[in-house]
Amino acid sequence: MNSVSHVLLASHGTEGALAAEQMALSMCAKGAKLHHLIVVPTLWQGMTGDDWLNNGSTRDTFRRYLEGELGREVDEHCERVNKFAEENELEYSKEIVLGEPDECLIDSSKRDKFDLVIMGSPRPKGKKGLRSRMKTEILTRALTIPLLIVPYPTQ
Amino acid sequence: MVYTKKSPALFIIGVIMLAIWYMADSGMLAPYIEHLAAGKKYKYLSELTTIPMYFGIIAAAIGLWQWFGSHKEGHWDYYSSSVAGGMFILLIAMLVRWFVAPEIAVISMSMGKVGDTGKYIHKLLGLNYVVLGIVAGIIIVNVFKIPDWAQNGVRLSRLGLKTGVILLGSLYSAAELTNLGGLSIIMIGFFVLGSVGMVLWMGARRNIPNSMGGVLSAGLGVCGVSATVASAPVVQAKSVEIAYTIGTILLWGVGCMFVFPIIGNMLGMSYVQFGAWAGTGILNSAQVAGAALAYQPDGIETLKVAEIFNITRVLILPIIVLWLAVWYVKREENATQVNVGQVIFEKFPVFVLGFILLFALSTTGVFSPPVHYKGKYFDNTKVSAKKMLTDEQVRVLIANADKVQREDRKAALARLIEQRKVASIEDDATLRGLANARIMGKKADKILKHAHKAVRHTARKIKAFRQWITWLFAFGLVGLGMQITIGSMKQAGGQPAVIGGVVGLTKAVLSLIVVLMLVKETI
Repeated sequence: MNSVSHVLLASHGTEGALAAEQMALSMCAKGAKLHHLIVVPTLWQGMTGDDWLNNGSTRDTFRRYLEGELGREVDEHCERVNKFAEENELEYSKEIVLGEPDECLIDSSKRDKFDLVIMGSPRPKGKKGLRSRMKTEILTRALTIPLLIVPYPTQ
Repeated sequence: MVYTKKSPALFIIGVIMLAIWYMADSGMLAPYIEHLAAGKKYKYLSELTTIPMYFGIIAAAIGLWQWFGSHKEGHWDYYSSSVAGGMFILLIAMLVRWFVAPEIAVISMSMGKVGDTGKYIHKLLGLNYVVLGIVAGIIIVNVFKIPDWAQNGVRLSRLGLKTGVILLGSLYSAAELTNLGGLSIIMIGFFVLGSVGMVLWMGARRNIPNSMGGVLSAGLGVCGVSATVASAPVVQAKSVEIAYTIGTILLWGVGCMFVFPIIGNMLGMSYVQFGAWAGTGILNSAQVAGAALAYQPDGIETLKVAEIFNITRVLILPIIVLWLAVWYVKREENATQVNVGQVIFEKFPVFVLGFILLFALSTTGVFSPPVHYKGKYFDNTKVSAKKMLTDEQVRVLIANADKVQREDRKAALARLIEQRKVASIEDDATLRGLANARIMGKKADKILKHAHKAVRHTARKIKAFRQWITWLFAFGLVGLGMQITIGSMKQAGGQPAVIGGVVGLTKAVLSLIVVLMLVKETI
C-alpha cells in the first residue's frame, strides 16, 4: 500500500463511495496527488418532469433551490475528502461535472496522467439511494489505466 | 450566449411537412390513406391538405434563415431558437395523429374484437393519437435524446397546453361551469385534503422527515409534479426526497394514463363521469389531460370536465403550499419564514385568468350568438340530401314506432318520418329524450341520433376553437412526453413509493366509487 502517486477518485458520497475514499487515502503515498471527481447525474435535469401548471418563476425558484441543495451536498462531500487528504498530506484537487457517470470518468481519466482510478462498487439490491449506476462494462472497455473497484462496505 | 443553432434541422422539418402536404394533395398518398381509412372515410384529409402546407412554409423559411443567417444575442435570438423544437414536436404530433394512430387502429381491427367486450383492442386500451403521441415523446427523449437544436422549443409544450386550457374557456355554458365547478370543488376539496392528511398521517407513523412528508403530501394530494415543484423549496426538501417523490408520481401518472381509460371503457362510464374520475383520481395533472383525450380522442367533452378539475386543483395549490409552509415552520427550528403575499402571488396560475376571460367573452356572444348552446345551434334548413333519412331508416322507425307511448314523442316521431328530418327545435329535444330513453331499440336510437346531428350545427368560430384546442393539447402532450425521463422515473422508491402506492390507489378507487354513485351521466 501507500505506493500510488496520482489517483483519480470517483465518489459522490454514497456508502460505496465512502469505502472507495478510504481505500484511496490508504493507497496514496505521502505527497501524492488525489484528484476527486464528482459527477452530478443528468437525471437531475429531468426533475421538473412534465410540470406544466406552474409559472416560470415557480419553476426557476425550484431549479435554483435544487441546484443549491445539490451544490451544498457536493461542497460538504468535497470538504470531507479534502480534510482527510490534508490529514494524510495529500495534494487534493476536485472536478465537479454534470453528465453520465461512466462518460465523465472516462473523460476525466484522459485529462491527466493517473496511476489508478478508484471507485466504489454498485449499491446492493434493496439498498436505498439514487438509481444512477456507473456502467462498468463501458468503463472497463474504455479506460487505459488500472481501475480499482472497492467492495461495498456491507459485502 | 447565442441560442439559435446554425443547423439544417428546421429547414428539413419544413421540407418533410411540405412533402406530406404535396403527397396528400396530389393524391400520391391516396392508396395509403384508403388503407388507413379501413373502408370508412379518412377523417383527417382536410387537415392533411392544409396544416402541413402552412407550417411547412413557415418552418422552411425560418429554417433557411437559421441555417444561413447570422444570429446575435438578445430576446429575438432566444425566441427564434424555440421554433425548431416547437416544429419538431408538431411534426411528431402530425405523424402520430395522421398515420401512426390510424395504422395501429387498422392492425387492431384486423385482429378482431376482444372477447365479449365488443371493442377492438386499440379502443379498449385507448391507443389513439394522444396516448401514442406521449409515448412517442417518451421514446424520443429516452432512446434518442432531444437534439440540441430542439431543446429550447420543447419547453413550448407548456405554452401549448396553457393556451389550450384558455381556449377551452370559450366552450363552457354558464350552467355547465357552475355545475362542474361545484362538483369539482367538492370532489377535489375532499380528495386533496384527504390525501394530504393521509400522507402526513402515514408519514408520521413511518417516521419520515417533515420535509419529505411535506413535499410528498403536496405531490400526491394536489397535482403531482407541479405541486412537488411548487412546494419543495418551501418545505426545504432534500434532493433525494425530491427525486423519490417525482419518480413515484411520474411512474404512477404514466401508469394511470393507460389504466384509467381501460377501466372507464370496461365500466362504460360517460364522458362526464370519466372526466370527473380522471380529474380527481390521477395524481399528476399532465396525465389527467392525456387520459381524458385518450378516452375521447375525437371530442372534447371529457377534456372539458377533466380540465375544470385540473383548474380547481391548481387554484388550491397556493393555499396548500402556504399551509405546508406554516406546518413546516411550526415543526422545524431552522425553517425559513415565508411571506404569505409572495407565495400567493408567485404561485397563482395566471393562465386561469385567461380561461375565465374567454369564458366571460363567450357569454357575451362574441364567438357565437347567445341563443346557441355551447356554440351549437338548431337549423333544419341546412340539412343536406345525404343527411336526410333514407327509406331503410324510415322503415326501421316505422317498425318500432308502436313501442312509443307518450303522445308528444309519437307526434315528433311522426313528423320526423314524414319530413325525413327533425321538424323543429322542440321536436329535436323530444326525440333526443326518446333516444336517451332507449325505448325503440339500438338501431332506431342510432337513427334518431343521426337525425339530431343533421340539424345541429356548430358555429364556425367554435368549430375552429375545437380544432385548435385538440391540436394544442396534442402538441403540448407530445412535448411533455419529451420531458418524462426514465432516469427520473427510475428514482421511484423508498418511503414515497410505499406511501404513494397506498394513497394513489386509495384515491383512485374511492374517487371511482364516488363518481359512479354520485355523478350523473350528463351535466
